Amino acid sequence: METAIDIVLKLVAITVAFTVVLLIVAYTVLAERRVLGLIQGRLGPNRVGYGGMLQPFADLLKFILKEDIVPDKSTRFIYFLAPVIATMAALMTMIVYPFGPEITIPFTSITIPLTIARFDVGLLYVLGITSIGVYGIMLAGWSSNNKYSLMGGLRSSAQMISYELALGLSLIGVIVLAGTLDLGQIVENQSAWHGTRWYILFNPLGFVVYLIAAIAETNRVPFDLPEAETELVAGFHTEYSAMKFALFFMAEYINMFTVSMLATTLFFGGWNVPFLDLIFARGTFIFGLISALGFIFKVCVFLFIYIWLRGTLPRFRFDQLMNFGWKILLPLALLSIFITATLIYAFPNL
Amino acid sequence: MLALLFILFAGLAIGCGLAVVAQRNPLYSAISLIGVFISLACLYVMLAAPFIAAVQVIVYAGAIMVLVVFVIMLLNVEQEERGRPRLKFLVPTAVALSAILIAEVAFILVSVQEFRVNPTSPPSNVGLTHSIGTQLFTRYLLPFEITSILLLMAIVGAMTLARRGGLLSPNARVVPGAQVLPLSMVDPNAEPDDLRPVEADSSDEAARTLGITDFRNQSKRD
Amino acid sequence: MEPQLSWYLALSAILFTIGVTGVIIKRNVIAMFMCIELMLNAVNLTFVAFASFFQDVTGQLFVFIVMTVAAAEAAVGLGIIIAIFRNRESLDVDDASILKL
Repeated sequence: METAIDIVLKLVAITVAFTVVLLIVAYTVLAERRVLGLIQGRLGPNRVGYGGMLQPFADLLKFILKEDIVPDKSTRFIYFLAPVIATMAALMTMIVYPFGPEITIPFTSITIPLTIARFDVGLLYVLGITSIGVYGIMLAGWSSNNKYSLMGGLRSSAQMISYELALGLSLIGVIVLAGTLDLGQIVENQSAWHGTRWYILFNPLGFVVYLIAAIAETNRVPFDLPEAETELVAGFHTEYSAMKFALFFMAEYINMFTVSMLATTLFFGGWNVPFLDLIFARGTFIFGLISALGFIFKVCVFLFIYIWLRGTLPRFRFDQLMNFGWKILLPLALLSIFITATLIYAFPNL
Repeated sequence: MLALLFILFAGLAIGCGLAVVAQRNPLYSAISLIGVFISLACLYVMLAAPFIAAVQVIVYAGAIMVLVVFVIMLLNVEQEERGRPRLKFLVPTAVALSAILIAEVAFILVSVQEFRVNPTSPPSNVGLTHSIGTQLFTRYLLPFEITSILLLMAIVGAMTLARRGGLLSPNARVVPGAQVLPLSMVDPNAEPDDLRPVEADSSDEAARTLGITDFRNQSKRD
Repeated sequence: MEPQLSWYLALSAILFTIGVTGVIIKRNVIAMFMCIELMLNAVNLTFVAFASFFQDVTGQLFVFIVMTVAAAEAAVGLGIIIAIFRNRESLDVDDASILKL
């Protein structure tokens, strides 16, 4: 059984992870606005603080102080519940990701694992919590008592449950390669060959399918029809203002972050920095620190890809989107499973 | 500690279960049912069945209930109206009979000798994915394959049921003016699947072709 | 004190009885369907409890199969409900009590 010290340590770990995630998400918003501006030939916000670095705090202040409008005929309980479900589902997946290897604090003999919770079915847990996140959007669309919201909510949830299938199936290739559902073990398996045995080398088709399905899951361009401003007013979050809109906004960016972390963990080796174990020994503090920073760097590369796609691609029409998800992406995901299984069967010692 | 967690999750499950039955709005019932599923998933984790807990959240709470909430939203189900159940004393009778059922089960549970078995001895690996997977693909392979055929049957069945049947929907009304009919209704030599539209000039002609005798009094079907 | 097997069985019996009461009381056909799902879950809890207390994985496999069957039943059942709704314009079970449309 857990002692009190363990519980306190876990709470500290959760707080630290929570703070880190929220900070990264806040600066992702700023990065998006600046990078989008540079892609579109203009500067983004660069007035608040040096180069705009304090912009997220200005945005936070705006959201807190804005007037909170609740539509009159909406179903109150569900109206307040929907952004809570969306944000909770986005945050709850944070606990299974390995941020780094076990590190020992220097001059002591305490080893702390850099994962908040490590259990046998980590990957299934992530898929389950993603399925719960659909409810936030669906209930938001319904409870706003607004036909644009309802259409946006139904379209968005139909899109999300359709692409969840391709997402899950594309991950089966990785599970077959690793032989386990435990995310920490999957990253350990990728540290062979001096940290370069990443699963993208064995399963590139699965990675492409996963990335497309994940972009559709998080309702980002080119799949953001249900919430685009030029389409359905603002889709399911039309009637939400101030702090509740901030919760939806945050939930979307936290979802982006989670998806990037999952892609890094499963396909790009997690915290494995190539050839780092030739320089430092595993298990030392400096190894763990550089590995964790390498993980964050890879996640930021994925976030940059998200922003880059937003600035470059037009959006899908809804029937094109559903067509693509069911008729093209799902068979490709099944194909990736077959290819990976054949690869494992043909080269069992790889 | 474990007992405390059990009481918490069991209380949550029973509370949400009572809410499913007591709520009049079906959408609130659906949300309470999601609460039941999630608390049951937490109980499964306590019972050393993490795989089943994750599958419960993915399948039940994440897919089946999404389908149910979709149907509730699309059919725009209103609250249940009060009044006119077929049996006047239905609710009190049902509650009394279910209380008797719970009393019977409680009597059995109390009077049977309990096994003093440790619920989760630490070295066991019963609920892990590995053990479920090996059993499912070796000893219980036939039920697994039959289940996949069952799912295929469900997909085909759901698609067949949801398709608006036939060439014309049974709710078609005859509208005065030009009526567009499929070719096979007008020309008996055409293929039955030939859906090229043909315009009838008047509602009399359309009614004659459709076989509707009294079309001027078309009211809501009873 | 660890939770005993009888606690789990009692919880399962209570949930099952609540489901049965719901099927009898409710008049909306979708709400009745949800109470049937509640009954299925109560039985799932019994299976998992026995699998855990007797260290046998067969109980959990059965739960796996039951969940799959419940998913299939949900899809077909809701299709039937939609078809009935299209014909009768009402989701009240008392209105669907005769087979003639």
